[in-house]
Amino acid sequence: MFVFLALCSCLYGEHYVFAQTDQTASTLQAANTAIDGAFNAVLAAEKAGANVTGLLAQLNVAEGDLAQAENSYRTGDFNIAAIQAGSALPIAQEVTTAAQNAKPTAIVSGKNAFWSTIAFTVIGALIFLSVLFLVWGWLKRSYVKSLSDTKPEVKNQ
Amino acid sequence: MKLEGYKLVFATVGLIGVLLIASPAIVDVIHLPGIPGGAQFSELYLLGPNQLAANYPSNIVVGQNYSVYVGVGNQLGSSAYYVLYVKFGNATDPLPNNALGMPSSLPPLYEYRFSIQNSMYWQSLLTFSVSNASISGFNSQINTLQLNGVAFNVDKPSMWNSNSTTFIYQFLVELWIYNAQSNQIEYNNRYVTLQLNLTGDA
Repeated sequence: MFVFLALCSCLYGEHYVFAQTDQTASTLQAANTAIDGAFNAVLAAEKAGANVTGLLAQLNVAEGDLAQAENSYRTGDFNIAAIQAGSALPIAQEVTTAAQNAKPTAIVSGKNAFWSTIAFTVIGALIFLSVLFLVWGWLKRSYVKSLSDTKPEVKNQ
Repeated sequence: MKLEGYKLVFATVGLIGVLLIASPAIVDVIHLPGIPGGAQFSELYLLGPNQLAANYPSNIVVGQNYSVYVGVGNQLGSSAYYVLYVKFGNATDPLPNNALGMPSSLPPLYEYRFSIQNSMYWQSLLTFSVSNASISGFNSQINTLQLNGVAFNVDKPSMWNSNSTTFIYQFLVELWIYNAQSNQIEYNNRYVTLQLNLTGDA
């Protein structure tokens, strides 16, 4: 009876360890996928022109948690690994949402900045050319006046 | 100067002025390709305990703490997600193959994960100690290694090296980078090593 109970206990323990390993591995996989997705979203927001300094700082916290989880997993601390990987998940999801929201805002800001630049360029160029024409007109009048004011000279040969 | 000469000067000034005023808009509209000489790359470096390329720990004894700084620089033109794998081996363990761009076959012990913006650097302390090792004749074995306070069972043997009169071990730090196209973390073909000579028990 004792031997039977001991055997059952061993088998149960083994199953428990396997189940725990699988669960931790899947949590690690989920954290990895979430962080990959968060980084992709941040990169897309950055390409759209968003300032991603804050998002990357937040993402670094999640990546640090994931690295610690992977390290704990290698040492066999599956419980700690699962907790650390689990703590990375909500941060990664938060970063993904924030980056996805930042992207359209950055696109609109980028377009506004582009059209502002075009408008200022056109207005600036028009003002510059107008001033140039005014100066040119004044110079031309002065030149013609100076020519007409010049007294004719007769030279004897 | 004749009126035609003034006309030419005004036309030239007008053209240059308009080009200068329009230059911000021209930059926005025409996206020039990258400068040919401007290569995109990542940097990986290892510094000693004083954050200088000096005083690297080399002769180690059991139970003593040692530290180095490991750093990465991003010159890729955009933010990048990096993974650093710290591996531990002896003198005969394989190093990464630069020609093939293959990482070392040694299993990673410890890892760092971080993202850096373009032109920025990341640096972190790597503290290590040998907490359990044995030396018997011309053979030694490091059983347990502490990396940043985490204990790893390595069970790594090493043969006596008659040239250096020590048992040679080495740390290997590999740089891996996340590829957004393939959604995979890939080896970046960059690594640094730190040779350690085990001299005996403390």
